[in-house]
Amino acid sequence: MSRHSDIIALVTLVGISVAACGVPAEGGNLGQLRGWVMDTPIPKPDLTLTDTNGETFDLRAESDGYLTLVFFGYTYCPDVCPVHMANLGKVFGDLLPEVRDRTKVVFVSTDPERDTPERLRSWLDNFDPAFIGLRGSLDDINAALSSMMLPGVAVIPGEHGSEPLIGHPAAVLAFSPDGLARVRYPFGIRQSDWAHDLPLLVQGF
Amino acid sequence: MQWWCFAQQEAWTWTWRPLLGVWIGVVLLVLVYRRLVRGACADTESHQTTRWRRVAFGLGVFLLWASLDWPLGPLGAGYLASVHMSQFLAVGVAAPALLLLSLPPKAFDSLLTRPRTLSTFEGITSPLSAFFIFNIGMTVTHWPGVVDSLMPTQFGSFLLDVAWFAGGLIFWWPVIAPVPRRPGFHPLGKIAYLALNAFLIRPPFAMMIFSEHPIYSIYELAPPPGGDALNDQQFAGAIMKIGTAWILFVGVVVVFKRWVHAEKAAERLGA
Repeated sequence: MSRHSDIIALVTLVGISVAACGVPAEGGNLGQLRGWVMDTPIPKPDLTLTDTNGETFDLRAESDGYLTLVFFGYTYCPDVCPVHMANLGKVFGDLLPEVRDRTKVVFVSTDPERDTPERLRSWLDNFDPAFIGLRGSLDDINAALSSMMLPGVAVIPGEHGSEPLIGHPAAVLAFSPDGLARVRYPFGIRQSDWAHDLPLLVQGF
Repeated sequence: MQWWCFAQQEAWTWTWRPLLGVWIGVVLLVLVYRRLVRGACADTESHQTTRWRRVAFGLGVFLLWASLDWPLGPLGAGYLASVHMSQFLAVGVAAPALLLLSLPPKAFDSLLTRPRTLSTFEGITSPLSAFFIFNIGMTVTHWPGVVDSLMPTQFGSFLLDVAWFAGGLIFWWPVIAPVPRRPGFHPLGKIAYLALNAFLIRPPFAMMIFSEHPIYSIYELAPPPGGDALNDQQFAGAIMKIGTAWILFVGVVVVFKRWVHAEKAAERLGA
């Protein structure tokens, strides 16, 4: 098995284990969702990082009242991150303005050394210029991941001089406008699922 | 060692990977061809015709090899629907026609000595059966659930390719193969058969073009160069429709030319 396979297996395992914490959506508005509803809602982490303009970004304050989709990944990611962001970006661009204007997509880099602000901005612009890119210390990021009951960042050294790979959660967390994440979207979620769920998520519960 | 291409869901790499099954398939095809044509064309056909048939065979084998081996094989199996559809054109439409054309009429004669096989062939390759087998096969093998289920395994991917190739052979058989003899299937009927298939709108094409979201999960969730899955899918739909129509149009021209040639030959004999 190649290293990339190892990483995909690791990330998928994380995704599955994360997804396994929840159950398919049932009951009420949640029952209509295609994401995985968690047994216990997760509060938005108290996380202050730096955005791609070099300005301080307080996640709770800046995204208060918005549907906030938070994903932890890195721009050198060979598989999960570009796929997740491309699918999300495609749907995000086609959302009705009343849904789009009430949604924020936040990408937190798990590779702050290599993900310079310029690189992060340029990479996110491939998907949607409205996507927010954040950088910070790995300690802060790991603390935030821990508070959301997600596994921390794992750096896997590159073989034969190749770039290192970064293990990170494969799920996107959807924080409702009330600041609680009740649903996770593991890798494998499709554009049709996003298009179905985002308008429902914006309405809140 | 990998035998056949399949959707691996891992980052694409330009490192060459041999696909042993494809090479074995090509060698087998060459051996079967040599056996079938041995002594079948030298006596009755001109040197030019024999050379033309060899070119057709070479082109057919090249199309099969190039579309199934690295890099197009793995790219089509797990990354780009447009490449997958180009493979279909090569494996399921163009190569079967070229390979049938590459066989001299005498090579089909062995069928005449096997009544049971001939009878089965008569049934399967009648224009009506061939029409339904090809179109149902084409629809099923491009159905999202089928593609997403079969492409992640080597055997499943191999099965799809074999189904395409077999469907293509059955489709072209009544138009090209001289056995079983079908005096009732006039060249005009062959032209109508090909034209109908060229213009037919099949469900997978409609789904690929008009769907709001990607229909194949393997391409939607493929790492780069997967890219914009919906654009790629729509491009794939266009390749399927325009590519198939173009190849069948070439078929119409060949049938028409052969018909005119045969009529002129008959006139010369009559005079």
